[in-house]
Amino acid sequence: MNAPVSGSLRAAGLSVRLGGRLIVDGATLELRAGELTALIGPNGAGKTTLVRALAGLLPAEGRIELAGRPLAALSARERARHIAYLPQGHVFHWPMAVAAVVALGRHPHADTFAPLADADRAAIERALVATASLAFAARPVTTLSGGERARVALARALASEAPIMLADEPTVSLDPRHQLVVMDLLVRAAHGGGAVLAIVHDLTLAARFADRVVVMDRGRLVADGAPREVLTPARIAEVFGVDAAIVESEVGPIPILRKPL
Amino acid sequence: MPIAKRGGWRLEIALVLLLAALTLLSLMVGPAGLTPRAALGGLFGGEGPAGIIVREIRLPRTLLALMMGATLGLSGAALQGLLRNPLAEPALFGAPQAAAAAASFVIAFGFASAISLVVPLAGIAGALVSIGGLVAIAGRRATLTVTLLAGLAFASFAGAMTALVLNLAPNPYAALEIAFWLLGSLEDRSTDHLLLGAPFFVASWFLLAANARSYRALTLGEDAAASLGVDLPRVRLMVVIGVAIGVGAAVAIAGSIGFVGLVAPHLVRRAVGSDPARVLLPGALAGAALLLAADIAVRAIPAADELRVGVVTALIGVPFFLAMIFTERRELEGAPS
Repeated sequence: MNAPVSGSLRAAGLSVRLGGRLIVDGATLELRAGELTALIGPNGAGKTTLVRALAGLLPAEGRIELAGRPLAALSARERARHIAYLPQGHVFHWPMAVAAVVALGRHPHADTFAPLADADRAAIERALVATASLAFAARPVTTLSGGERARVALARALASEAPIMLADEPTVSLDPRHQLVVMDLLVRAAHGGGAVLAIVHDLTLAARFADRVVVMDRGRLVADGAPREVLTPARIAEVFGVDAAIVESEVGPIPILRKPL
Repeated sequence: MPIAKRGGWRLEIALVLLLAALTLLSLMVGPAGLTPRAALGGLFGGEGPAGIIVREIRLPRTLLALMMGATLGLSGAALQGLLRNPLAEPALFGAPQAAAAAASFVIAFGFASAISLVVPLAGIAGALVSIGGLVAIAGRRATLTVTLLAGLAFASFAGAMTALVLNLAPNPYAALEIAFWLLGSLEDRSTDHLLLGAPFFVASWFLLAANARSYRALTLGEDAAASLGVDLPRVRLMVVIGVAIGVGAAVAIAGSIGFVGLVAPHLVRRAVGSDPARVLLPGALAGAALLLAADIAVRAIPAADELRVGVVTALIGVPFFLAMIFTERRELEGAPS
């Protein structure tokens, strides 16, 4: 971490209106350094909107504080050095080389016309190594498989070495192995001192990897705590409308989804 | 080390050498052909007809072609970067069409002949009015879709105004003059035209080049770019204004010159690893080369009336473009639309 700030992002009474509709309704939560928080909830609950607001990309009512300072008081560049945001879909619009894409993570650190500094290069290489992307660093990013793209997108976010990372469905449309790889990378980023929030749809992944699970339903945060406390059959039934059982396994308690209610 | 340093300046140097060669050729070619020695002698203070032809006729025309071509190439590259779309081109926001409409108006109603300075002045005014209207209606913090739709409306309206002017032109000669003017030409453009356009071209270069890193960040999409600290509404405004004043001035001075803005960036894109920031300079140089080559061709091809440069840019550009598509179609198919 090259930023002296501790990783803590705190939102209080956060509300977001889009087109006159209240999408996020009074959300209060804190992301702490060293924790991977999974944000779960049904489609349309407002998860993406909440994450975009936390990233400072949407106007919102309420307070967001970054290490005790109001987020709105920070310049866009300063904010970008502290919060890495990984949008859904792992989209790359030009067939640029993987290393050049990952280098975009250094955007908030570099000057307009200065070439990359040694510190930037080192961060880029660390991110490529962490995501096992070094082998295809010179290839055009558009020629990669979905799993490889997801790793590159994550490498780009990691390269910024921001103390806070917000990831919107980082495991979506990945094969089982890559889902585990990506979750493992998020865990490592968190346990290395970052505050990481990831929207996750797979309850098993959330239960297994997250230190904390936050549940969102119809714009409100309805639960926030350790996976074991939050992911109960009653809550899964209430929020997702699914009949579930919690099964103890060698990797911990895991929800088994039986049928829609 | 996979994290390569910047890939050197070989491409830019090659393009500058090409431009130097084309410039010399441009000073030589015309109704009175000159040898390279005579052209250079005329350029550097030679007395007599060669000096007058080179310095007062061919040099301003050559410099205009270079500056306009660079403006068109840079505009195309910047817009393609901003919109993350290889099909983006300078006519997108309506400024060139507005410039053409205003210029047509003054020609049609006899305020000026097609080569008078009143025409480019009216054209530039038209471009500025259209862009002012676009920004006022779409708003300073408009989304891309709103800006594009408003730009499309302005472009269509300006196109209709040009058609209306042609329709209502007081005599067939005026209509013919406009129709030819619209095809684009650098014939008889003088130092006055150059001095009129240069400030607009240079200002547009600054506005478009200042956002180079933002185009690169936009490779990840608008949200990710914003999260990296890119001020999207500001970038959008600067690009819209930069394209409007640069391309608006170009159209005002020389009529519509299509294809350069679309094609030039693609000719060099692969050589810079598709980096939307790195493509700007070579894209501008390629645009300059393309337009100057077209203008030389216009003078070299024997025809009763000089061919129109806007026609020739397409004739030269399309085969290049098709060849590029042919060799790169596999990669293009792999890219997201």
